[in-house]
Amino acid sequence: MSDALPTVERIAPREGSAGARALRGIARRPVAAAGILGVIVILGASIFAPLLAPYDPAMQDLSRSLLPPIWDGGSADHILGTDPLGRDVASRLLFGARNSLVISVSAMLLGSLLGLTTGMFAGFYGGRLDSLLMRVGDIQLAFPFILLAIAILGTLADRNAIDLILVLGIPGWIVYARVVRSRVLAEKEKEYVMAAKAVGATSLRRLRRYVLPSVWQVVPVIALLDVGFLIMMESTLSFLGLGLQPPASSWGLMLAEGRKNMMISPWLSVLPGLAIMATVLSINLVADGLADVIDPRLRKGSFRRRLLRTQASAEGAGGDRPSLLAVRDLSVEFPLSDRVVQVVRDVSFEIRRGETLGIVGESGSGKSVTALSIIQLLDSPGRVTAGQILFDGRDLARIPDHEMAALRGRRIGMIFQNPASSLNPVLSIGYQMAEAMRRLKRVPVKRIESECRDALRSVGIGDPDRVLGQYPFQLSGGMNQRVMIAMAMTAQPDLLIADEPTTALDVTTQAQILEQLHEITTEQDTSLILITHDIALVAEHADTIVVMYAGQVCESGPASRVVSDPRHPYTRALLESVPRAELEAGVRLKAIPGELPDPAALPVGCPFAPRCPSVMDVCTEVNPPPFRVGSRHSAACHLWAPEMRKEVVS
Amino acid sequence: MTEPLLEIRDLHKHFESRSGRLFGRVKTVRAVDGVTLSIHVGETLGLVGESGCGKSTLARTVLFLESPTSGEIRFQGRQLKEDEATRLRRGAQIVFQDPYSSLPPRMKIRNILADPLLIHRLVPDDQVGDRVRSLLQDVGLSPDAETSLPHELSGGQRQRVGIARALAVQPTLVVADEAVSSLDVSVQAQILNLLKDLQAEHRLAYLFISHDLGVVKYMSHRIAVMYLGRIVELAPTDELDAWPLHPYTRALMSAVPSIQERTGPRIRLEGEPPDPGNPPPGCSFHPRCPMAQPICREETPELKEWLPGRVAACHFALETTGSTPVEVQTDGRQAESGNGP
Repeated sequence: MSDALPTVERIAPREGSAGARALRGIARRPVAAAGILGVIVILGASIFAPLLAPYDPAMQDLSRSLLPPIWDGGSADHILGTDPLGRDVASRLLFGARNSLVISVSAMLLGSLLGLTTGMFAGFYGGRLDSLLMRVGDIQLAFPFILLAIAILGTLADRNAIDLILVLGIPGWIVYARVVRSRVLAEKEKEYVMAAKAVGATSLRRLRRYVLPSVWQVVPVIALLDVGFLIMMESTLSFLGLGLQPPASSWGLMLAEGRKNMMISPWLSVLPGLAIMATVLSINLVADGLADVIDPRLRKGSFRRRLLRTQASAEGAGGDRPSLLAVRDLSVEFPLSDRVVQVVRDVSFEIRRGETLGIVGESGSGKSVTALSIIQLLDSPGRVTAGQILFDGRDLARIPDHEMAALRGRRIGMIFQNPASSLNPVLSIGYQMAEAMRRLKRVPVKRIESECRDALRSVGIGDPDRVLGQYPFQLSGGMNQRVMIAMAMTAQPDLLIADEPTTALDVTTQAQILEQLHEITTEQDTSLILITHDIALVAEHADTIVVMYAGQVCESGPASRVVSDPRHPYTRALLESVPRAELEAGVRLKAIPGELPDPAALPVGCPFAPRCPSVMDVCTEVNPPPFRVGSRHSAACHLWAPEMRKEVVS
Repeated sequence: MTEPLLEIRDLHKHFESRSGRLFGRVKTVRAVDGVTLSIHVGETLGLVGESGCGKSTLARTVLFLESPTSGEIRFQGRQLKEDEATRLRRGAQIVFQDPYSSLPPRMKIRNILADPLLIHRLVPDDQVGDRVRSLLQDVGLSPDAETSLPHELSGGQRQRVGIARALAVQPTLVVADEAVSSLDVSVQAQILNLLKDLQAEHRLAYLFISHDLGVVKYMSHRIAVMYLGRIVELAPTDELDAWPLHPYTRALMSAVPSIQERTGPRIRLEGEPPDPGNPPPGCSFHPRCPMAQPICREETPELKEWLPGRVAACHFALETTGSTPVEVQTDGRQAESGNGP
């Protein structure tokens, strides 16, 4: 239940077919767009060659042999000049494009179909079929392709386009088969394939209707790159005299013929060379763009912290009670390509020294984003747009990077939901802990080992020596989380932020870890921010609870008050909708109707209004500010507005 | 009592896994290690346990999505062999945990729901569309959801589609494998209530699997507690709640966070769940058990009926806090009714 990023995909409007979307995606990248333009020109040239070509490409006219191109003193009759037999170079290039493309595209289709089919079967059925196909592929890859092609084509007396297509196409299967196979291996383990089996779909049906639509997308990118490669191979074979036979026109043949007149008329070999280069380059550019569109993860992302400008009144908020951390009117937004999503809006809370604050919310509530803003580790493009994060009197949203870096780990620690991914998988626990000790606490080398042992004992690990020698993958999730806590606590930070620290763990382990966390923070007088989706968890472990919904705080107050006497309808609904051990048999759960709001399209007024049982007219118009409902207890609900309460009283 | 809808006897599912090193020893992981269960028509059997206890493997093996190593599965009175799985597929279905990976990403909702209808030729071709729309309505979705792709729906809506797919073949048994665990709490309750309504409407039996004891209690008539491939306790929900016999059940119940004041001290389990590839000898719970005795290290306790309807696999199921369980059980009930209105 990570809510670090708003769920963008679920609201993405559908725009046309996948192909149209891919094209639009590519067109938005200028380099790829240039590639598309190139491909269109070449495609057009080869399709309309008979119309565009001024002469028959095979028509010889020895009286006009070796005319120079127009920029080299030639005439407009033969723009690109003529070859030694007096054939028009422009016409031969156009028809050459046609032959090259037809042969390489057909070969690609043959190879990709063959590879797609074999890859799917090998991956899906596995076993002997898989081993056999993949070993054949290995052997083929170990054998130089060009030698094979020369051997086969050299024995054919009369070569035609079909022979070339077969020789160029069939060996390509293995490239496709390998990639498709690995995709199928990943895809067939997914639950939807299992579900198809459960509804009775035969294996062929699962393969065709369920697996195929998820794996074929890898083929077009490889295919495009393959076409580029095949055009080169076809030219190479023609150049060696193993391709199409004269008088057919082919770029490779033209290159070979041009070579003989290199000194007299260099353009004869330069022009087909340029044609080959431009074609292959264009195709590769399109393939790169396509890969980006199909797999958006390849797009570059960066982490950059943005500072807020210093406010004149930044230090003016001392307050009467010394709180360790005071978050005031914090707002965070994530700009997307076409709109800006407000992930956190006007969030305020305070935490005192030694106190445990629980932040409760569902996905998209902004609870994790709030935590990441405090430690200033928001993923780009997220940024704090307003508010203050006052930690010990300094505004973390406005201090320079090096000061922030000095605070992180030393005075503010953080632990995450998935401990295994927070630890380095290839370094032993001992090494990683020693590193943390050296860096954060400057422990002398002699004492590091004993300090590590003590740290592990302090989080309830009975045999620290064994754990220190092990690697994260050898430990259970609970153990790894203990190690993370021990590491985060080495520097005795003033504040520890725990983002869903036990969500990935079992209940019995969760109980152990939380108790440990409570003990160690109490012992060191560390303030703890405990972020979770489970309100019962914070009810047990926190002093103060902040309930968040759709990026806002809807209720905050002392834990016992919030749980026993919830004032916001959302808090109340949340408490009632979770099946508790205490729930009596036969009592129906009170479910909250509707869905969580889309963070990119929040309703006007109170974000909970569409699901609220006590919704009033004002709720859909005005977003309620927090109203005081008791000592340190407030609720952002119009029911608690002063004028409403007067009405209730009268 | 009438014949159970589903009966599992001594079911085993073992996996072979090689240890990390090259040429490492092959070890056998007994994911399901001799499970015997039965589910009656219209009943919900809850199955609760922590990660790695084998509950999901059990779910898949029961439906022949994985082939059992040994054991007997009887469905509607007939013993099933693996090649008869198609028969089972029309009577028993499954709802998975993850609403994101359990729907084919590039298939429209309409086609996802139509596929089971077409496979089993349940309705004439021209009525498939109507049936799909009525299935969507049954699970509380608007019929125009049929043209959507899974990623256009929210987690809760997707899980409704997963339920509709399971209902398409009009099964008598639905296995719900952590069906609400990945949903947000405010949506989870909707799905639980939907499952209850559908059960009442279609007389469905559920094998309801979850790690969340609160959710299992809400849904189930009887609860089975699983630990390391075995059932360690099985009892009607209210009796299990009032007086758990197995120390693991007690620890599990005590670990669940609660918004009410805790009455007794929390039972704190020591140590880690054992490695299923290398289970401890004797009772597999003994290294963590607060009341382990020498015998627990040597003898594996049988799952046996200690009291009418109460089975547990513990050598000391009846010897807990000194009072006899029968008394305490009634005490528990009195206390419960005393709390009532």
